[in-house]
Amino acid sequence: MPPLRSKILSLAEAGGRVPDGCRLAIGGFAVYQHPMAFVRELVRQGRRDLTVVGSVNGNDVDLLAGAGCLRRVESSYVGLEKYGLAPNFRRRVERGELEMVDYPELLSFDRFRASQDRLTFWPCDYLGGTDILTYNKDIREFTCPVTGRRLHAVPPADPEITVIHAIAADERGNVVVPPRRLLPQSLDLTMARAARSVIVTVEQIVSREYIRQHARWVELPSYCVSHVVEAPWGAHPCPVLGRYGIDDAHFREYAAAGASPEAFAAYLARYVTGPADHAAYLGLIGPARLESLREAEAQ
Amino acid sequence: MTAPATLHETIAVALARDLADEEVGYTGLVTGGAAAIFGTSIPVAAMELARLTHAPGLTLLLAGWSHNPDLSQLDALPESEFDARLCDLPAEAQMVAYPDGWSIRRGDISFGFSSAVQVDVVGNINSVCVGDYRRPTVRLVGPILQPEHMTLFGREYVMMPHHERRNFVARVDYVSGVGFPGGRAGRRRLGLDRGGPAWVITPRCIFDFDEDAGRIRVRSIHPGVAPAEVQAATGFDLGDLSRVPVTAAPTRAELDLLRHRVDPRGILLPRPA
Repeated sequence: MPPLRSKILSLAEAGGRVPDGCRLAIGGFAVYQHPMAFVRELVRQGRRDLTVVGSVNGNDVDLLAGAGCLRRVESSYVGLEKYGLAPNFRRRVERGELEMVDYPELLSFDRFRASQDRLTFWPCDYLGGTDILTYNKDIREFTCPVTGRRLHAVPPADPEITVIHAIAADERGNVVVPPRRLLPQSLDLTMARAARSVIVTVEQIVSREYIRQHARWVELPSYCVSHVVEAPWGAHPCPVLGRYGIDDAHFREYAAAGASPEAFAAYLARYVTGPADHAAYLGLIGPARLESLREAEAQ
Repeated sequence: MTAPATLHETIAVALARDLADEEVGYTGLVTGGAAAIFGTSIPVAAMELARLTHAPGLTLLLAGWSHNPDLSQLDALPESEFDARLCDLPAEAQMVAYPDGWSIRRGDISFGFSSAVQVDVVGNINSVCVGDYRRPTVRLVGPILQPEHMTLFGREYVMMPHHERRNFVARVDYVSGVGFPGGRAGRRRLGLDRGGPAWVITPRCIFDFDEDAGRIRVRSIHPGVAPAEVQAATGFDLGDLSRVPVTAAPTRAELDLLRHRVDPRGILLPRPA
């Protein structure tokens, strides 16, 4: 019997699978559990002209915007929650350097459900009177064949590649998402099921034996996953539910650095393009800081 | 001797009286100063007060997902919607996926709270941009759940932490949540058969709507605020304000409940000076 093929890649190899101009979905929600190690790698590799199709975005999109990697964003929200507006995203949109396509939040989730089920649109009956319809020309009006009501057809998300960050997977790409979860972790699964090409960064690679013992926690079976990357603390400075909390001090530093292009260039040089790789980044943050973020009840 | 009600207490009590038993109320978790007090603390205090008085069966959806969480275990309101601490707070149910156990579209939410940067004369709200959409002066966060709040919820309380001419404008720069353009009939023509803003609450007054005419109007003015002050802070004509009542004061019993049962440790509303 030939050996089973491992799907493990290095972060640099996995980042290389995302071409310039790619239509990319990035897991996580607002300031939670984005695959930030992967996002930093895209910046390090100088990726350009990306479209991020999302639902509720935060520092993932803002970092890419600040580094000049983006052409277009489709989302319901780009912001830093308690840390304020997303400063780089805001500046790029205000200067006309970044195309923003706004969607209501539920529909931004539904767009991934449409892709998951290979539908060509998701129907909606509550957009009348909004400027969503004024500016988003990808949404089209149609008449319901059953009731005759005027409805709107919202296009599917259709990402070419989805990248999410999870707690664990085996080398074949069976991905563990424990039952203690919230909306961000659940939406990651929909986002992953919406793409043919799925990259999962994980806190830890686990054995096949572990997977067989925790099969009911495996929410993405191996055939739904293209590549697996081990990236401990891979969401930092975002939290990972069940592992570590948000790095509040780093988020404050990030938000302050976003105040001007010059200060943000210095941030990028120090934390993103300066460190050679993710391990060097973690060294810069420091083990003491990282340990202080660990969730008390994390196993 | 009971200290007189603060502005925030007065608003919380006015809101509590407007909530009915067995309703379901949806609030986000807004952080930071006045925005947090208007967006989260006052709604939570109002819902808890209503539960202790006339609406014991009301369901509070904190951060839109935790059903009736036990807030007495908290030293401070969580600062983010998906905080691990909120995850482990005793509650009656948690909504942890989409779609999940309840449906916004079916009409499971009786009322919600939202805030915005601009509100206009027909009750449209805006959280997307200030200025021209393509080259905005200020790009804001986006529509988020506002389109749903203003159409799929039974009614909406728009919580405005600031009431200045730049916030209350004749026409919002971007309609992310629809009010009553053309009144109820106008909403029906847009395909909207329910919902819409009920009140807009500010530090100066409470607005409601003439839903037939499709126009905002001042329902009450807070104690100590002059009608001329409300007009001066609003970017459109409010008409004759001379007969507008003062926002009703809380009763002694309501204030006692608010201070000693709803918020005994003062984590929701600032204490009277």
